Amino acid sequence: MSALIATLWLINVSLDTGGQLAFKAAASDPRAGDGIARWRYMASRPWLWLGLLAYALHLLSWIAFLSLVDLSKGILLASINMVAIMIAGRLLFREKLSPLRVVGILLVSAGVAIVGASG
Amino acid sequence: MSAHTPTSARTWRFYLGGFALLMVFDTLVQVSFKLTGTHAFPPEASWAWVLRIVGHPWIYIALIGYIGSFFTWMSLLKYAPIGPAFAATHLDVVSVMLASAWIFHEALTPVRLLGAGVIMLGILCLALAESGAHPEHDAPTEAKGALGVMAGD
Repeated sequence: MSALIATLWLINVSLDTGGQLAFKAAASDPRAGDGIARWRYMASRPWLWLGLLAYALHLLSWIAFLSLVDLSKGILLASINMVAIMIAGRLLFREKLSPLRVVGILLVSAGVAIVGASG
Repeated sequence: MSAHTPTSARTWRFYLGGFALLMVFDTLVQVSFKLTGTHAFPPEASWAWVLRIVGHPWIYIALIGYIGSFFTWMSLLKYAPIGPAFAATHLDVVSVMLASAWIFHEALTPVRLLGAGVIMLGILCLALAESGAHPEHDAPTEAKGALGVMAGD
């Protein structure tokens, strides 16, 4: 991978993870209530908007990334996003990482490393 | 969100049809993103690049596919167990690779196929780890995002 492609890949993972975490923070606020009131509460707080901003930027970084690598390679390299999000969920929201989840994370990471190392 | 157990053949047809439709939408989205990037080439941190992106129809086709994918999800969500659903969101890796070979004549090299196989095994483990999890309570953020739990209460 060239430096530019690697940088775009890292930006892509960061924005996807950041966006998901922002949505999680928006959605899991217990003060939000229900129904329309819940959406109005979420719209009045920054998390939902930060999540949407991260997603919009993620879209651009993904298009830039895909214009430099084959789609079949890009989609495999992007599998690391689910690993990053699970680890972030573990760190920030204390989500459980069962042994099977750890095995899954290691396998997905290994697969991404195999594809990434192939140049 | 209720946890229904699949019983009838009709339910299975609903699942399979839903997941197939989801895969079609996801593949359409990625192929359209690739075409968007190709038309807007070279990528630059400039408005000129963003204008090239929005100046071609592909980005809009991608967004339509994205909306289709989202609503297919929301319909499946009511009934699909989270484990298989989690796996299905990431199985588009297979259909996107096939589409890349077919539409863009990309080489499915042995390294890519090996990598894809290892990743699919990982996804299978993650899907099995999710079985029994209830999306609103103990599913991880990743699975919730994939399931669009945020959008549906």
